[in-house]
Amino acid sequence: MPGMTSDSGEFNSLSIVPHSVETQTPRVYPLRTRRVAAPFPRLSITWARGNTLRVSLLQPGSEQNPGGEVVEVKLSNADGAEIADAQWRRIAYGSVHPYALLQSRKNSVDAYHGDKDWWEHVMEYSKEINSLLGDSKSSVTPTIEDPKTVLNIVEEPTSLKAAWELMELFYADKQSWTWIPERLLDWLADFDCLFSATQSTVHARLVVFQKELVTIQTVENVPDYWEVISSALAVGWLDVVVKLLRLHGSYQLDQLGSRELENGLVEAVAVLISQMPRLRPDLPEENLGECYNTKPEFMKAWEKWRAQITKLDCSSYWLQCDHQQTRVGLKNMLQIMLGNANTLSNVTYHWIELYISHFLYIRPFTTGLESMFTLAQKCMHLKPISNHHKLMGLLVGILEENTEVILAECSRSFGPWMITHAIELLTAGSTQAEILLHDEQSKLGGICIEELHRLIYAQILSSHALTWNIAPIYLTSCSKQGLGLLENLLYKQPVHHHQVLLKSIEICRLNGLDYVGHDIMKIAGVHYWKHGKKGSAVFWLQQAQDEVRLNRIAKHLFDFVGKSVSDESFKQWEGMIELLGTESKTAGGLEFLKKYRDFRRSLQQVQEGTTIDEARKAAEALVSLMRNPSTPQQFWLHIIHDSLKLLNWKECPLLNVSQTNLLLNKLQELSFARLLPGFVDADFPPEALKCVRLALATNLGRSILDE
Amino acid sequence: MDKSILILDKGTRCTAWNYSGQRLVAGLDDGTVVIYDSTDPASSTFISTSRFKARESSITKVVWVPPEYGDAVACISDDGKLSLWEEVTEDTEEHHWKMRKCFDGITSQVLDVQFGDGQTCLKLVAACSDGQVKIYELLDTLELEKWQLQAEFQNVIDLVSKFGNATCVSATISWNPQRSEGRQSSFVLGYSSNTPALNSPKVWEFDLDHQRWLPVAELSLPDDQVDEVYAVSWAPNIGRPYELIAVATQQGISIWHLGSNPEPDGRLSTQNVAMLSSHDSEVWEMEWDMSGMTLATTGSDCVVRLWQSNLNGVWHEQAVLAPAG
Repeated sequence: MPGMTSDSGEFNSLSIVPHSVETQTPRVYPLRTRRVAAPFPRLSITWARGNTLRVSLLQPGSEQNPGGEVVEVKLSNADGAEIADAQWRRIAYGSVHPYALLQSRKNSVDAYHGDKDWWEHVMEYSKEINSLLGDSKSSVTPTIEDPKTVLNIVEEPTSLKAAWELMELFYADKQSWTWIPERLLDWLADFDCLFSATQSTVHARLVVFQKELVTIQTVENVPDYWEVISSALAVGWLDVVVKLLRLHGSYQLDQLGSRELENGLVEAVAVLISQMPRLRPDLPEENLGECYNTKPEFMKAWEKWRAQITKLDCSSYWLQCDHQQTRVGLKNMLQIMLGNANTLSNVTYHWIELYISHFLYIRPFTTGLESMFTLAQKCMHLKPISNHHKLMGLLVGILEENTEVILAECSRSFGPWMITHAIELLTAGSTQAEILLHDEQSKLGGICIEELHRLIYAQILSSHALTWNIAPIYLTSCSKQGLGLLENLLYKQPVHHHQVLLKSIEICRLNGLDYVGHDIMKIAGVHYWKHGKKGSAVFWLQQAQDEVRLNRIAKHLFDFVGKSVSDESFKQWEGMIELLGTESKTAGGLEFLKKYRDFRRSLQQVQEGTTIDEARKAAEALVSLMRNPSTPQQFWLHIIHDSLKLLNWKECPLLNVSQTNLLLNKLQELSFARLLPGFVDADFPPEALKCVRLALATNLGRSILDE
Repeated sequence: MDKSILILDKGTRCTAWNYSGQRLVAGLDDGTVVIYDSTDPASSTFISTSRFKARESSITKVVWVPPEYGDAVACISDDGKLSLWEEVTEDTEEHHWKMRKCFDGITSQVLDVQFGDGQTCLKLVAACSDGQVKIYELLDTLELEKWQLQAEFQNVIDLVSKFGNATCVSATISWNPQRSEGRQSSFVLGYSSNTPALNSPKVWEFDLDHQRWLPVAELSLPDDQVDEVYAVSWAPNIGRPYELIAVATQQGISIWHLGSNPEPDGRLSTQNVAMLSSHDSEVWEMEWDMSGMTLATTGSDCVVRLWQSNLNGVWHEQAVLAPAG
């Protein structure tokens, strides 16, 4: 296709997240089919849940081939495709609680006036999320047990975690502001390995050297040894440096005598390194250096330390050191510690390593993003790289305080999960970002960027049957369009699956979407009705308060019951009528069926020949049934005919004059109705009608006499 | 991630997914309709579960009835006949498909059909080859047999003019997907015909007071001669203050904003916000995603294109999905 770049691989980079930049030509993604091949005379598309697109590829008829294939495309993963599906779902589920907690704190006024500052809540949130992203054990921690193991190779961390920690240290952690260079140093120690994939790094050099180390006899003769040591020193991995120094041959017992002076110099450098003043509150146990909390204290110690280095540098012992590599190597290290810019540039590989070395040895007091950015630019200029890692884009965005770049990098490189959750950090730490993210934009249909990203993330969650049920948490934090999308999501649930139905109703209830819940129950009810599960159908339609359909069902039942009223088959409907009667607010017609059932029961008892009380009760039921306006006409005759025994009660008339008149009136009404169109004939034999008339007349006579 | 989920039967002409994406109906060349089902909500493996012969001639379009009315599909066949089939389980039998209604009353060919307004009373709009639009109403919520012709009109703004000898090749209908009960039901309809006045997409709304359908907007520019409208699609609205409708014509895909409140003359304000060139010639289908943010289209160049508005409100093509090989 002309003018389009073709992509060989995955949909991972296919983003459906809108950005403000880029209007380049769209990328082409291949749709891979299993059994059919192009050309296709017809494609058909449908969006399934979330951002899943289903494409039907139809092919012309032939004997061998099938008629086509349906391919499902999930557009953009939530995590930028670095993490396996199951692991990603674990993160998605794990982040729900901290996110929801932060939102509820945000909504409660107390959070702003409580004993904690807001950023402390955000920090708590950030720590919890960070813990989901993997173990934070630094990969450059030396292990003491094996002297030849300087690097502890742990499982490679993810860029996602690296990005999260960057956001945390720049936006959430207010305490780290005074010692941000040291925080960056720690960060690089954890994540330098990530950059090794595309280019040479200090970490990569160390890994290679460690492998060689096992075979090397006298390390100090190997140039790599001194190079690696200097590099590690430049990026501040002091424990690694000291450990490597102690591998120096002069420490060996058999050589200690002859190389005493040399050993003294090595040890002096090692001691100086381990005493390096650090502007930070504390250090992990295994790390070296002396911590100073305040600037004046640090400055004093720093000057003293530098003076010691200078003194050692100028010492006359160097002249007496015979081992040339040791002398040059150690001197080089002193230059690093003295902040020689050229040396630093020579021993580092990636610009960020150079950047860190500048913080450590040249500008330990650098604060403020502006000066940090200037320094970063300088380092990038000194060490240009061809292949930009996605973390660099984010870091540069942060340093140049460009919220739009940060957002774009977050969503493009790390996916919707990252941006949705990181926005909390961003808004907590930057007023400019907060304004940008919370500004409602008419171009976005009246929502703000924060809401847009939440909607997009929720849509991705909705794509999967295992994650759709956490989407509502994010949607309810969207004030403008969240509920709208939630409605659409709920309407797309397959409600004839019982579990899904219950979950959907629960979500509706929790979010005040009763009308959606009713619609869902309606869909379920109709499904059951049409598929022969009449009891479930009635239950769900009742739950949905769907009077129209319930009345319709009642009519259906009348027709059925009406036809077989004296029949035993009425019994089979009893259970259903029982169910219909349990809800107080049922449709009128269904209420009748329940009363009718009760009436038949009391009638049955009378037939078994018991007391007059029971007969009276049955007569009352009869009258109330006939008075009830919802009793359908087609039942009238049947009911009266069934009650002949009551009408002809020997001991005394059970119905009084007015009650008998009521029944007579009904009979008359019925004979008028017969003339109207739409009359449902009850299919009643004429002899039976005569019996009814006679019984009523007799009863009337007896009751008049009685009164 | 792309994944093949289903192999279609030989001779498949058209397909449609149901509301939940758990069932697919396919119309075949020989008039057979095949239903594919997934076994549980989490799986995306589909197998064919039912098949029935709906017509003697090829099925060209299948449309699901809204789920509030059961599992049913409307089929349009090659000869323009419209029939309605429903899945039912009677007594102890296995479920099976039954013809509920054959719209024999429509003498001309049916080109497109869509169901709408599921909340109050199910309506069916059928666009016919003689330029007539017929709207049927379901009389009984539980029985799909009983339909009543509610209205019949031509797709013209000026209700007085009539075009007697229009010949239409194709039609496209899209209901406003909004479900809330307070809203009037409305849909947009366009034609491909020899009569330009019929072609341009018009938004029809039911006027409750006068119990009739009124054209409330026309989605074409004043000096635009709309030759053929290939497809229209009304986007879900999850909270925007305006409606969003995509229209595909020979000129390309245009995106329209439709105002929510009527102007004094009863019309709704329209604004063309984007004109996108695409798909070389014909556009077959357009579909909005559930948030109404992304539009997917297919056309005679046999690719799927995804369109989106960026943060500055500018519509652009975001990606192309092309069959490999």
